[in-house]
Amino acid sequence: MANTRSHPEPSFAAKDVPSALMRQTLLDRELVRPLDRPVIRLLPWLNVVVIGGRSIMDKGRDAVLPVVEELRAALLEHRLLILTGPGIRGRHVLGVGLDLGLPTGVLAALASADAEQNGHLIAALLAEQGVSYLPHAAIAHQLAVHLSASRAVVSNGYPPYELYEFPPEVGKIPPHRTDTGAFLLADAYGAARIIYVKDVDGVFTTDPTITDGSRPEFIPRVGAAQLLAMNLDTLPVDTLAVELMAHAKHLTEIHIVNGLTPGNITKALQGEHVGTLIHAD
Amino acid sequence: MTDTASRASLESLLMSRSLSDTELMQTSNMAPDYAILPDVSVLKIGGQSVIDRGRAAVYPLIDELVTAKRSHQILIGTGAGTRARHLYSLAAELGLPTGVLTDVGAAVADQNAQMLGYLMARHGVPVVGGSAFGAIPLYLAECGAAIFSGMPPYDMWQHVPSEGVIPPYRTDAGCYLVAEVYGCRNMIFVKDEDGLYTANPKTDPGAKLIPEITVDELTALDLPDLVIERPVLELMRRARYVKSVQVINGLRPGLIKRALAGEHVGTIISAA
Repeated sequence: MANTRSHPEPSFAAKDVPSALMRQTLLDRELVRPLDRPVIRLLPWLNVVVIGGRSIMDKGRDAVLPVVEELRAALLEHRLLILTGPGIRGRHVLGVGLDLGLPTGVLAALASADAEQNGHLIAALLAEQGVSYLPHAAIAHQLAVHLSASRAVVSNGYPPYELYEFPPEVGKIPPHRTDTGAFLLADAYGAARIIYVKDVDGVFTTDPTITDGSRPEFIPRVGAAQLLAMNLDTLPVDTLAVELMAHAKHLTEIHIVNGLTPGNITKALQGEHVGTLIHAD
Repeated sequence: MTDTASRASLESLLMSRSLSDTELMQTSNMAPDYAILPDVSVLKIGGQSVIDRGRAAVYPLIDELVTAKRSHQILIGTGAGTRARHLYSLAAELGLPTGVLTDVGAAVADQNAQMLGYLMARHGVPVVGGSAFGAIPLYLAECGAAIFSGMPPYDMWQHVPSEGVIPPYRTDAGCYLVAEVYGCRNMIFVKDEDGLYTANPKTDPGAKLIPEITVDELTALDLPDLVIERPVLELMRRARYVKSVQVINGLRPGLIKRALAGEHVGTIISAA
């Protein structure tokens, strides 16, 4: 073999399986390019609904039950993957973990457990309709069969990065959280839509929950790059989820809706624009 | 800020701000760093570069690893290799998304971990994965080594590349992140070349070895091909523990032990 030139012994020939990528590193841009083909949508009928931890779950009965009732009604018509965030307990465990000096990967695993527990709560409330909580592995490998048996399933919005979480650019807070995990998963499945259920109407120029005299301006529709360039102090979704929109294969927009306003989730599932739409540019 | 003040400020920011908040992220930077396994070294054994070569490359390497574990605690991660390339190629042709490629590619790194596991079994070295990671400290204390499959568990949550569908974070990134999360002493990539070259030495006879380089220099060179996965460079920039890695030739006897001892025997890539 020609490529043994730099090797100490010629007997090291590799056992290859012939393929278009056979003898190169997967790191050579030119050689990997021919594989750029259209990607199919695995579950084109899938609706992903993300229930905020702090924005909905932590508000308790008054916020959670109306959202659950809307979902209960919606699953007759739509097939739903419901994902939950960790909320205040996630913040608490991050605080303890940071104080103990634990690394980002460990913090990610800890916070993920709190997102999972919120998922169990939602699934229990919808159990009567055949809805169960599924762990990451079942979501990755058996979502199709579960959604054929049931109209909806619930899982953990946090992606399964855990110990393999990236160190963030600044500080130690895990960068891949609920909003990002849900976006990556929804795009991988080629979902029809993703709806983020929060406690605000969508994106504002300043945080609408802070009453300091500033006049927050509502942004009903905005491009992902444009939104990032505005460099707003606070967004109702994780910045990384918006950044990743640039590479998405299927999801061209995300919808942020106020779950405290009755009817919004139902309308959003029907394709009606009721909050902020962030679109890929 | 005093320690108490910064702790109070971090807790109040955590309870009141978005987790993407700049001030919160900066304050979290002041938290202490506790290295979990500071005496351990992670060795990544290349799939295509080493394991696919079979006995001729793997048997001598096993002997070296067995010798090395007597004086060092080593976590051995595996690459995927030629079967993963076949799977990626086939799955991409079928129009499948990056998440599916990640999942099926992981199985190939698993196979390689199993094979190394059987070969090292008589030396007491276990293969660990998933929840068994919690037992790694015991295995390392008892026998000095443990084997894991190098692919990160991103599955359907893998980042999508800017072009095509090949998973951007594969076994180099997976092994590197294990080293980083445990605060390990060394990250050594065991490949079939003496280190990083200016071009692919397998196809370009003019390729020159680069013995030492920083991530910034390497990024500026913008080489069309690279000996380790490109995203690892960005992860290194952000790292708190593993700020340099060494790429060595596993086909040359004796280099593993020397690299574990901190000797420069291949290419050292460092974050700054």
